[in-house]
This record gives sequence, structure tokens and C-alpha cells, in this order.
Amino acid sequence: MNDASKKTADKKNPHLIEGGIDAIVIGSGVDGLTAAAYLGRAGLRTVLIGAGPEIGGRIAVREIAPGVEGVDGEHLVTVLDPEVIADLELYRHGIEFAARRLDTTYFFESGGVLRFDGDLTQAALLSLDDDSDREALEAFMGDVLETSAFLRPAFAPGGYPGGGDAHQRALEKSLGQASPEMAMRIRKYLFATADDVLRARFGEGALRTLLLAETSLRSGASPFEPFSFMSLLRRYAGEAAGLQGAAAYPKGGAASVVTALRRAAQAAKVDVRAATPIKSILIEGDKVAGVTLLDGGQVRASIVIAAVDAQQAFQEMIGPQFIDIGLQRMLTARRPHIASARMQIVLKGVAQDDATRRNMMRRLVYAPSPEAIASAFIDARAGRVPERLIVEAVFPTALDEGAALDKRQIMSVLAHPLPFDAEPDAERREAIRSAILDSIEMFAAGFSGRIEAEDLRLACDDAQSVHASSGAYASKPDILQQWALAAAVSGSGGISGFYFCGPEAQIGAGLSCAAGRVAARAALRAYKKGAA
Amino acid sequence: MIFPAEDFYADAPRPTPLFPAVAAHSEANLWTSVNGWTAARVYTSTAQEYECAKSGAALADLGPLARYAVRGGEAAAFLGRLTSAPALTLQAGESARGLMLDDRGFVIDLAEVSRLSEDLFLLTLPAPHARHIALAVRGLDVAAENISGDVAALGVFGPQTAGVLAAAGLKSVSETMAASGVLRGVETAARPIQFGALPGVELIFPKDEALTIWERIIRRGVGTPIGLDAMEILRLEAGAPRPGLDFMPAGRPGASPRTPEELGLAHLAPLDRGWFNGRRGLRELAGKPRRRLRALSVDAEAASPGAAVFCDAKPVGRITSWVWSPARKRVIAFADVDAASRGNTYEISATPPAEGRLAAKRFETVESALAKAFAGEQGVATDFRR
Repeated sequence: MNDASKKTADKKNPHLIEGGIDAIVIGSGVDGLTAAAYLGRAGLRTVLIGAGPEIGGRIAVREIAPGVEGVDGEHLVTVLDPEVIADLELYRHGIEFAARRLDTTYFFESGGVLRFDGDLTQAALLSLDDDSDREALEAFMGDVLETSAFLRPAFAPGGYPGGGDAHQRALEKSLGQASPEMAMRIRKYLFATADDVLRARFGEGALRTLLLAETSLRSGASPFEPFSFMSLLRRYAGEAAGLQGAAAYPKGGAASVVTALRRAAQAAKVDVRAATPIKSILIEGDKVAGVTLLDGGQVRASIVIAAVDAQQAFQEMIGPQFIDIGLQRMLTARRPHIASARMQIVLKGVAQDDATRRNMMRRLVYAPSPEAIASAFIDARAGRVPERLIVEAVFPTALDEGAALDKRQIMSVLAHPLPFDAEPDAERREAIRSAILDSIEMFAAGFSGRIEAEDLRLACDDAQSVHASSGAYASKPDILQQWALAAAVSGSGGISGFYFCGPEAQIGAGLSCAAGRVAARAALRAYKKGAA
Repeated sequence: MIFPAEDFYADAPRPTPLFPAVAAHSEANLWTSVNGWTAARVYTSTAQEYECAKSGAALADLGPLARYAVRGGEAAAFLGRLTSAPALTLQAGESARGLMLDDRGFVIDLAEVSRLSEDLFLLTLPAPHARHIALAVRGLDVAAENISGDVAALGVFGPQTAGVLAAAGLKSVSETMAASGVLRGVETAARPIQFGALPGVELIFPKDEALTIWERIIRRGVGTPIGLDAMEILRLEAGAPRPGLDFMPAGRPGASPRTPEELGLAHLAPLDRGWFNGRRGLRELAGKPRRRLRALSVDAEAASPGAAVFCDAKPVGRITSWVWSPARKRVIAFADVDAASRGNTYEISATPPAEGRLAAKRFETVESALAKAFAGEQGVATDFRR
């Protein structure tokens, strides 16, 4: 047998035990790639293992109509971790922004339209006629941006209350040092409903409606529930392309972030293995010892980072007999009710008028009335498809020259809130599709006539595509509950050498990569300590 | 197995399956409620019952304790997770004590595990923990059935336990090995128990057969029913802390939780035993006790729960429970004290209307001797001095 055929035979050997590896990263999504790149750059022999055939997790390029490709997962970048961009040199690895601060045009049920500047600190540029509204908005945005910047550490993985590490101590210290005014403001914002805060600032006006829609988008908590205002603070605490609270569009869509991360991982000599399902994580004593693959083989390493959902990592891969009952309760008690849906629509023809063309270069948000938002959350929680949805839409083909199509446009839509279904039937999908199209018709009358093809993607489809638990990408509950769960999973069940950076480790939605960074840094600290 | 604190405010406690039998022997007719079940404080007199347990055989209605039949292929793994008892290494017939800990390593309750067969275990707890158990079952091939109300449980202990069992025709019941089977037509499980320092046997049988077994033993004229008050003396002499009295189980509202080490029960949750719930949290807490539960012998006729405890004239804690010990001819008590107070002698405030302070001294109990031996084995420093 020559060397090549021997290697092939070894690869097929289901009982191969592979050693000589320092760290294993499970899950090939953005957080997994980030963690692996950090470990690789630090000189650790790192293997990244993904269950699916593609690297990138749920963010993937897919043919959504004959000859037309779309990007699954995220259609905008709002909270990409600036430290990851800098540390992994993502600009050098090809990330480039087609639009760094997208203006937003808000459409209201009443037929009104408002434009919001992409730079939130320039809120005065908003197309408001009323000076008092303008002043109220300026004052409000000033407060909110200042508060959210102050709270940024609390929204970072590992930094939240209950995180129990240096980040938490730093956060507590900074909160302790907050000025009385800031402390009072945080207390008010922490417990208040978004509606209370916004009504007090803007009365019944359009600004309240607009900001209620922003708060609610992608959140599992209704803006009429306590702690809901924190969702908006969290959104504005994030950075995209170096700008606080901005929405940016990378060239090639979110998939280009994956490409850049993958290049960073490859440059760091990470061994990337796709289509390699993992059966379990090996625990010996209180320490992680590697992973067992579905084919029976073993890969042994003293560091394992799980970048898959918590249900999979703790319940299935580690097993209930090795995790604390309290952590298991937190994982099994979660029952997502609310989810968002993505729809990518191929539209025939190109816009002729300037106003439409300008709007296509912006982020468009349809903000139903506060009553409609409240009713939508009630319906979605009860398992019904709401009549009116909050819709966020962008036109990748307009924003990105590389994505342009011949006499066609792609409209990428995110609709919220919808009932979460683990296994929706065709009827439910049709109801969701109709509700989304009806809501779009509210601000783009007659648009349905231009639809050439459409592709609806629900939270469960994202989960299925990456072999995750069905609820992994459902909308998250209020920030307090997210903090509690994130603190529990980031503790990694106390298993030495095991770190977690799945979706539950991140506060809020969006493409961030910060969880991967934090997990990798924690692993490196422990590795260096052990080596020393 | 130790009874938890009585629930003084419970309304209309349910009769235990053995209640019709034991009630007929209750001259004092003094009852209380434990876990919502009736429990006799005294049958005849505390002194007589205590003496009988020390020199003869005592019969205790253990119905108020919580019992679970645990079945399934992963029953051992489940119990090894739920409690610190070494369930995975138990052979059929063996029993072991352990603790139930929360995720942070604080004590929720005491636990006793008996392996009756390959995939059948009996779990006995001072109090039911239905929710905690239901959560721990998830994901494992195991069924934990609460059989507390369906079975009668009779504890037989004292030096003449074997005699009682033989007299009742239960010769095949071993004092050292747990077993289940049909005894003279009655389906019975038996397991060794320790009540304080007294070895004994617990018989568990269907509630419909409660009177049959009871009558078999009583007719022979051996064995005396024993109530909670006499058992309390045995408990304190053995140095076994009582949940809800000497410590508040972790998770109770307002509870200041205690680690095994703080309760002097570190030997029941050794860190080198296989993984159990809370072990990782316990590892963080090990060697850093904030409080200590001390067994004290007091030169007095009486004491009072809550009495202040002083060390070097400084207040360091309080008395949590006390009794008059006929064996020691003194008041013996548990005191929850600051871990920094390392002395052998203490003072406690006298019970009003008396004034002043009473001298108190630590004494070694069966439990503290086990803890001391364990600490020696582990090579950790112990502050115990005789």
C-alpha cells in the first residue's frame, strides 16, 4: 500500500484516535471561525469541525431563484465586533463595506414617511417639519447613545451581570462610578417598557411609532413589557464599520464576513473540516478531553470551544449526566414563541424614478401603529400569524455593484414578529408569506405585480441548515433573561477546558463574532496558565 | 435517615399508611406534621422510648420521609448526578449516604440510596424535592416514581433489631444488605439504615399490608414505637444535622445556604468521587468555610434554640437545636458558629429567666469522627481538637 492510499484508508477508519491537537472548535459559523482564528494566531494547533457541508453556518450563499443568488442569515451588519475586525485583520482578508451608514426611511401605516440619518448623532437631519419634535429627538438620541455606550460592556459576551469574571467586575466597577444622573437614567431605562420611555418623550407622535418598531425588530419581548427598552439600547450600543448604532452593508453581503473570517482562519493555519458531525464531547474527570465523531473516531485536545447552540452542546454533546441541573433547567425551560422571517424577493424591472432609486440605497422600515405592534406580539405569542408586521428591507442589488442583476432587483426583507414554529406546514408558510407581502404592500403599493420569484426562510430553516436545535435562531426574550442564560452557558458548566460561544452567549441578534473572541481569549488565558 | 424540621403551621396532616397501627399505641396522643404527614412526637414517654432504642429495639414510622423508586438503564447515572452518594459503584444490596447539592455546591438535603437490583434503586430523602428530581431526570433513561404515599415504611433499630425481625418471621431480611422480595406473602423491600449511631433496618411494604407487618412484630411483644422527641436525642448524640433546623436547605427563600464542609458533612460529598451535581461549584468553595456547625456539650439543665454562642467573649453564632442527653448527662446542642472561631470551648447565653453564660465544650460525635477521618485521608488541615 502506498502512502496516499494508506492515508485514505486511515481517514475511513472509523476508530481512528487523533492526537497532537491543542484545540477543537465545534461549529463553522462566524463565532466558530472567529474563535478558531484567534487560537490559530496564538500558535495553537487548532481544528475547526463543522457538521454541515459548507463553512459559515447559517450565513450562506444560495440560489434563491434560477440564476439568482442570495445570502441567507443576515442581510445587514449592525453589531460587528470592532475588536475582531482589528485583531483578525479582516480588512486585509477582504472585508469591505459597500455602505457604511445606511440612512433609514420609515413608512407609517398612516401613509407618512420619515427619513432618519445613518449617523445617529446627526438625528437633526431627519426630515421632520416640527421643531419641537426635532429637539426632543436630538435630546433623546443624545441620552440613548450616551447610555448605550456606557452599557456596552454589559452587552458584550462575558460582561453581563452574573458573568462572574473580570468583565463583570469591570462592569460593576464602572456602574458604581456612574454619575448620579447616569445611574438614575440606567435604572429608569432598565426597568421601563419601551413604550413608557418613548411615550414620555414623544407623546403619541410618529417618532414613538418609529422607535417602537426599531425596539421590537428581532426581539422576542414586546415593547410594552418591562425591560424592553434595553433592546433598543443594545442595538445602539453595537458598532458597524466603526460607527455606533449604524447599519452597514458589506460588499457581497454578510457572506463576505464569513469569507474574510475563513481567510483569517486559514492564514492562522486552522485545519478546517466540514461535513464532520460530532457525536459527543469527551469529558474525563472534570476536564474536556476532545470529541467523538459520529463515525466513531476521536479527536483529542485539551481545549474544546463549542460554537453551536447550547441545547446541542450541553444536552446532546456533553450529556445531562455531566451538566448541572440548574443549567439544564435553563436550557430546557426555554420555549421560544416569537421569531423573525427572512424573505428574498426577485423583482422584475428597475426603478425609473429618482425617489425610488434613492430609497433603494437606504434601509427601509415599515412601522405599523403601536396598537398594531402590540396586537402583532399578542397574535404571534398565541401562535397566530399577525396581520401587520414590522418590515426591514434592503436592496442588495442597489447597494452592491457586484450583486447587480440585469433588469432585476433583489429585495431582502426581514419581517417581525411571527409565531415560532419548529415544523411549520405549507399552510403556515403561505400565511406568513401573505402577511409579509401584505405588509410590504402597505408602503410599496403594487409591488406584488413585479415579483418574479421569492424565497421565504424561517428561523427553523436556518436551524435545519446547520443541524442546530430548531429554536436556536428564534427571537430572544428580554435582556434580563438573556443575561441570565448567557451567564449560565458562558460558565461552560464548570468543565475545565470547555468554552461556549453559541448563539445563547450573545446578547441580542445580529452578526457580532464577539462571543467567539471572548471564548477564544478565555481558552488562551487558561492554556497559557497551564503551560506556565 | 433524619427527619426534617416539623411544619408547625401545616393544616390537617395526612395520615401515614402506618398511622392506624401506631395511633393505637399512642398514650400521649401528641402528634405533629412532617412533610404534611402525621408524625408522633411521643408515644409513651421520651425517656422510655430512648432507653428502648438504646437497649432493645425501637419501631419508627418513617412514612413522613420522601421515597422514590428509581428504575431504568441510567438509574445509577441519574442518582450519581442527583446526589453525592456513589450510586454508580453500588452493588445490588448496598446502600450509601450522600447529599443533594445545588449547582453552586450548597446543600439542598441529605440523601440515602439503596440498590435493590441492577436497574432498581430506592432513594430516600428527608423531604420531597419533586421539581428538582423532575429536572434531573430529563434526558436520561430513568423513571423516578414518588412512592411515599403508596408504601408503609417501618424503621426497626437498636441492638435487638435482628431479634425483632426474627420474631416477626422476617429472618431473611438482612441487617447489612438491601433487598426486595415477597416475605410471607407480602411484597417487601428492606434496607439497612442508620439513625444516628444506631444501625437498623427499614422495611418498606405496600400500604395495604401495613397492619399485617406491624401486627406480626407487635404480637411478639418485642419492639417499642418511638416518637420524634426520642429520635431527636439519638440524632444529636450522633451529631447528625437536621434539615430546616440546623441548616436551611439551599433554594429556600431567605436561606443562607451551607456547604457540606460547613455542616461537618464533607465526607458525604468527596471531591474525588465521580461527578455529581454541584461538584464543580463545590470545588470553588472547598476549604473556604464561612460558618461551622459544632456539636456542643453544655453544663446546664436546659438551653434554648437561638441562644447566642460566644468564643473568647465575642459573639460567634447561635444554638440551632438542643436536647438533654441521658447518655452524656448534659445538654447537647448544635451551634452554627463563625468558621474563624477555632476554639474547643465556648459559652452560650443562659435561658431566661436565668442570666449569665454557660460553659460549653465541643464533643466528638459519630459524624464528626467520620469527618475527621475523612479530612485526615484527604490530607487537609482540620481544626478539630479533643
